Amino acid sequence: MCVLCTGAILQVHWTDRRTAEGAAVPGEDQLRFYRRGRLHRAGLANKILCHYGLKVEDWNGSKFVLSDRKGRQEIIEDLGGLWPAAEKLVGYKLNPLDSVLIGKLKHNV
Amino acid sequence: MSKQNKLPITVVTGFLGSGKTTLLQQVLRQPGMQDTAVLVNEFGKVGLDHHLLQVMEESTILLGGGCVCCSTRDDLVEGLSQLLNRVERGERASIRKVVIETTGLADPAPIVFTVLSHPVLQHHFYIENVIVTVDAVNGLFHLHNQPESVKQVLVADKLIITKTDLAKANEVEQLVQELQAINPSSEVHTAVYGAADAAILFTPAAASGRKSERMVAASMASGAHTQDVSSVSITFEKPLDWTAFGLWLSMLLHAKGEDIMRVKGLLDIGGPGPVVLNGVQHIIHPPDHLEEWPTEERISSLVFIMRRVDPQDILASLEAFQQTFDVEHNLPRMEVLL
Repeated sequence: MCVLCTGAILQVHWTDRRTAEGAAVPGEDQLRFYRRGRLHRAGLANKILCHYGLKVEDWNGSKFVLSDRKGRQEIIEDLGGLWPAAEKLVGYKLNPLDSVLIGKLKHNV
Repeated sequence: MSKQNKLPITVVTGFLGSGKTTLLQQVLRQPGMQDTAVLVNEFGKVGLDHHLLQVMEESTILLGGGCVCCSTRDDLVEGLSQLLNRVERGERASIRKVVIETTGLADPAPIVFTVLSHPVLQHHFYIENVIVTVDAVNGLFHLHNQPESVKQVLVADKLIITKTDLAKANEVEQLVQELQAINPSSEVHTAVYGAADAAILFTPAAASGRKSERMVAASMASGAHTQDVSSVSITFEKPLDWTAFGLWLSMLLHAKGEDIMRVKGLLDIGGPGPVVLNGVQHIIHPPDHLEEWPTEERISSLVFIMRRVDPQDILASLEAFQQTFDVEHNLPRMEVLL
């Protein structure tokens, strides 16, 4: 539960279970790894999302903000929320098996 | 919350008359099984299964009204919450594991989904195994004619072939081949009149993606596609970037969750041990981080079982994503199993 926005996190998405639970990591480092991990994730996601005219940014280390070029935005929690939100903004189903997308990715257009 | 504080759930399913109850009846009588709570799902008005499972009567909560399926999985929530209340109040303090026996027509996926996603239950229970009984005599017939049966086999962690004493040896062999062709990632055991070792049922299934040449040979031999199901094994030689891989897999499951029946494997993400990934359709179990590798080899392997999806598309997509994510040195190798 976030005390500022009262957003309850009921479910930890499987992609966020990166380290073994209960693993001891020093406090400061943990935060640094956490922030770096989120930036890394947003960076990688953008390499895919740019083909749909979308962009995702980390917001204060707690949420991600997905936006399109018209300025519409969606607040998302994790990767579980990313793809439905992206579909909502572009207006059609995203398909990673789509040959057009694969072609673009391969030729780095 | 760590797994240590959660109760393991074993889901026992199988087609009508395939010997679920007989199996449970025998297994629950074995020593060391007194700490098992059994939830039975009755189909029809007479809770016949309930009367058969006499030994466990006290711990049995009868799930009312039909299937444990999307429509009535509230029953499962209620059954498990009721059990949890009793455990917490100390009435059933000795309970260490839970068995859910479903009806013959039930789809196990919603059960897994319910336990993994319910706000309370997810912190108190986890799914350890999905055991599917297959009748040696009628199994092949069911597989060819009943889509429910194929679905059950796909979701299985362990397959128990029952009634092998009643069937001819070559029929059993054919059935085993067909089962392995449908679900190469599951273990296959046999049981005559429910005589299976409780240890088989209540130990976690080996998490290896690639089994043996036998498995590949079996799928080659069977040849014919069963209900458009195909499976593919993907291996990586270098450690994977978990973030990059998670992006690709979450996108794939979001788009094709209905058709990707099963994802299972061991992944090297650079840590001391591998990550066990286990998914049923778009439901992914919380990945398990193992302390160390079970074998010397550190190769990530992953098995996909899917319907109506071309394995080549999966590989092409994964390659393109890996390239985009700048991990070109770690391109996947693929082997189509069927």
